[in-house]
Amino acid sequence: MCPEPNEVYGDDPEVGRWLRERLPRHPAPPQLRAAVVRTLNPEVRRPRWGFAWLGPSVAALATAMVMVMWMATGLPSLRSTDPIQQISRAVVTEHARTLTWAQREPDVVPAALPRVMEESGVILNWVFTGDEEIRLVSAQPTYVEGHRGISLGYMDADGHAVTYVIVPSGGVTLPEEGRVQIERWRPLIRRENGFSLILWKDKGMLCAMIAALVSESDLARLKEYFVKVRSQTELSPVF
Amino acid sequence: MTSGEEEFRREAIQHLDALHNLAVYLTRNGSEAQDLVQETYVRAMRFSHRFEPGTHLRAWLFQILRNTFLTFYRLREREPALSEDGVPAGRAPMFHDAPDWDGESTEAHTDLERALARLPEEFKTPLLLAEVEGFPLEDVARIMDCPVGTVKSRIFRAKERMREYLKDYGRETKA
Repeated sequence: MCPEPNEVYGDDPEVGRWLRERLPRHPAPPQLRAAVVRTLNPEVRRPRWGFAWLGPSVAALATAMVMVMWMATGLPSLRSTDPIQQISRAVVTEHARTLTWAQREPDVVPAALPRVMEESGVILNWVFTGDEEIRLVSAQPTYVEGHRGISLGYMDADGHAVTYVIVPSGGVTLPEEGRVQIERWRPLIRRENGFSLILWKDKGMLCAMIAALVSESDLARLKEYFVKVRSQTELSPVF
Repeated sequence: MTSGEEEFRREAIQHLDALHNLAVYLTRNGSEAQDLVQETYVRAMRFSHRFEPGTHLRAWLFQILRNTFLTFYRLREREPALSEDGVPAGRAPMFHDAPDWDGESTEAHTDLERALARLPEEFKTPLLLAEVEGFPLEDVARIMDCPVGTVKSRIFRAKERMREYLKDYGRETKA
C-alpha cells in the first residue's frame, strides 16, 4: 500500500519526508511469504521453522530463570521474603513457559484437557474455553513454588497472551492492600516485571491471571477477562 | 472455506510487506522479524471468523504485531535484571541484538536508521505508522491503545529526537 503523508502535525514535516523517501523498506522475503501463506491456509500444518526464536528463546529464558531461582536459594539477599512477590514472579515465569507450550502444541486444547487435569491434580468441572474476545489455546500441568497445578493459556483478539494458573494455595494469605472490587469478587492486583497479575483464592486453590496488559485501559480489559474466567470456570480440587 | 474467510486471507496477505518492515525496525533482526510476523498471522487466524470486509484489518494486524512484540520483549527484558549486570532495563538493546542492516544503504540512510534505532519503541512505532505506513492518527491511536493526543505528542517528540540524533552524527540529512 502506498503511504500517504500525514499533514496533520505541522511541526516538522521534513523528518517525515526523510523517513518516507530515504528510510529503506524491508519487504517480506520469499520464505516468509510462503510460510504465511501456509499459515493462512488451515489445511496445511504450520511449519516448525516459524518458531525458531519465539519458542527456544522463551524456553531458554524460563530455564535461565529456573537456574537463577535455584541458585538464589543460597543467596538470601536475592530472594524476596514476601510470599506474594515470590508467587507473582513464579507466575511470570509460568507465563513465559505457557507461551512456549502454546507455540509448540497449538492444538492441545480442548481434547487434552482431561489428561492435563489428571496430571495436574486440578479438576475443572467447567472451563471457560473462550468467546468472541478471547480463546483458550493451551493447557498444561505445572509446578509453581513447589505446588503441582494447571496452567491455561488464552489469546485475545488483539494478540495479547493471558495465562491462568491454578495451584494449591499452600496456606498463602492474600493481603487486603491492593485488592480491588471487580463485580462480586475482590481479587488482588499486582504489577510484576512489566506484567499485570490478578490473584485470588477459590476452593482452597490460589488462582492467578497474568498478561502484558498494564495501561489503565489494558488493565480494564484484563479485569473483563478475569470476570469471564472467574464466572465460567468451576474448580473441584482433588489431592 | 466461506467467502468471508477467503476475503480475510486475500486481504491479510496484502499487508505482509508492511508488517515485515515494521517488524524489522522493532526487532532490528531479520530472523526475529520473520518469526514475529508469522506469529502475528497465527494469532490473527484464531479470530479470522470475526473479520468483516471493509473493516480495519490492516490496523488490527499491526496491533497484534505490536502486542506480540511487547509481550516477548518484556519477557526478555527480565534477563538483565536477574543477571545483575548493571544495565538499566530501558537502556538494554531491543532483544539484545545489534542492528542487522544489509550494508547496502547509503551513509545518509545509515544515519537515519541509526537515529531511528535509538528511539524508544513508544516513539518509534507511532512515527513509523504515521509517516511511513500512512496510517491516520485515529488508527495509530488504536494500534498503540492510547488517545490521539498522546500519539500526536509522541510523534512530535520522536521527530525532535530524530533531529537531535542526526545532529549527533555530525551530518544532518540534507533535504
